[in-house]
Amino acid sequence: MIKMLGAVLVIAAGTMAGWLKARQFANRPDQIRRLIQALKRLETEITYGFTPLPEALRRIGKQNHAPIRSILMKAAEGMDGQAGMTAQESLHKAIHEEWGHTAMKPAERDVLYQLAFSLGTSDRRDQLKHIETAVRQLEAEESAAREDQAKYEKMFRSLGLLTAALIVILIY
Amino acid sequence: MNPTWLSVLPEHISGMLRRLPSDLLYQLEEIRIREGRALEVNAGGRHYFVTVEGDLSRDPEKAFKPGREDTHRLLDQITNHSLYTMEEELRRGFITIPGGHRIGLAGRTVLSGGKVEHIRDISGFNMRIAREVKGIADAVLPRLLDFSHRSVKHTLILSPPQHGKTTLLRDLARQISKGSWGHPEAKWPGMKVGIIDERSEIAGSQRGVPSFDVGPRTDIMDACPKAEGIMMMIRSMSPEVIIVDEVGREEDGEALAEALHAGVRVIATAHGTDAGELLHRPAFAKLANPPFFQMYVILSRTDKGLSFKLLDSKMRSMQVEELRRRGSDHHD
Repeated sequence: MIKMLGAVLVIAAGTMAGWLKARQFANRPDQIRRLIQALKRLETEITYGFTPLPEALRRIGKQNHAPIRSILMKAAEGMDGQAGMTAQESLHKAIHEEWGHTAMKPAERDVLYQLAFSLGTSDRRDQLKHIETAVRQLEAEESAAREDQAKYEKMFRSLGLLTAALIVILIY
Repeated sequence: MNPTWLSVLPEHISGMLRRLPSDLLYQLEEIRIREGRALEVNAGGRHYFVTVEGDLSRDPEKAFKPGREDTHRLLDQITNHSLYTMEEELRRGFITIPGGHRIGLAGRTVLSGGKVEHIRDISGFNMRIAREVKGIADAVLPRLLDFSHRSVKHTLILSPPQHGKTTLLRDLARQISKGSWGHPEAKWPGMKVGIIDERSEIAGSQRGVPSFDVGPRTDIMDACPKAEGIMMMIRSMSPEVIIVDEVGREEDGEALAEALHAGVRVIATAHGTDAGELLHRPAFAKLANPPFFQMYVILSRTDKGLSFKLLDSKMRSMQVEELRRRGSDHHD
């Protein structure tokens, strides 16, 4: 009876682990897409709206869900405060603290990190170029992430269950 | 209590300035930050260099030298992390920060079609600290009243730079708009005042809202070219008095003449010390005949402070008087 219970637990855990890993593969391209959309909105706010960076980030953040939302909001907060942080420091801090909650990989983080060096420090034309570059890089990452998703999402979902089944068979 | 302008400076620089003797700190007129060179402050027409310990020195070698990191941080802070929102300001060469203080910028200019489009590599900052001296116009305003029209006379204020022209103009706007005429027989209420503030100096506007008290019935056209602004104000805001700083171009004269026809009173300032010479300038040629200004106020700096001289419309001298000084030293 206990053996039976244990087997069920192992299978449940294995399936769960597989599902979670598969979810990550599914979430990554989605989050990249949302990040790209956020950057495009930022581009509009900067080039047409002349919106100051903290306000623009907050506005875009509000329309997004976690985890993108928390990165943008945190960056905006840092710039507002009396801490005297520059835009770059504030963005880097937000990325550093919030990245763990995303399904995205270091490649995407580096793109955003690079962008933070130039955000807010030049004229509109220049800002536009920097954001466009970041968007292009993210789009490349997105298509890679979609391929990964097609390849691995299903595999990990079944792999979890199958591995759990193997363990059960071996120890039963 | 700390002056508001300290908060935009990088922390260690504001720390040094805070250690300055407090009477000097409150009289500072300019703070000059130049990348790689000595930190300088100006007060009462004298300049000093500031050392790391917050002491004053005459020797630039002993002074603190702000680095690239400091100028970056300062620029980031004064632009609200958004240099791209400041394109117009960069073209004009200065940024107005909360409190109405102006920061002049120097760097490498980027040209487009032969005109300055932008400043890059900004490495020099000149923070001009604005002071509001309420009551500075007390002695002047009663003489500018036009009792028959229950209004003020068309007035031109003349002075060299740094003599408190703008401070006087600001206080005039406040008192006219409030109706505190300073004369026992002047009993009419405050008037609608329109300020054309091309250089954001009179009102020190932030997002269109004035940082200084310019009176309850005052509208401000901020950062607007004077000639255009005068016309816009007349069309849209029905001012009774228009206040404008530093008229000098030909189109300004035309716009002032337009204001005259619209029945609006004008108080303007111009650089200069001699009213006679003034009328030869192109902007004022149109205003000379028939005489447009009913009163000329000429400011000058004496040992005791500022004094003013009044001339009537035919440039006849009326009197010389000391401006009452309240508060600390004032600043153009």
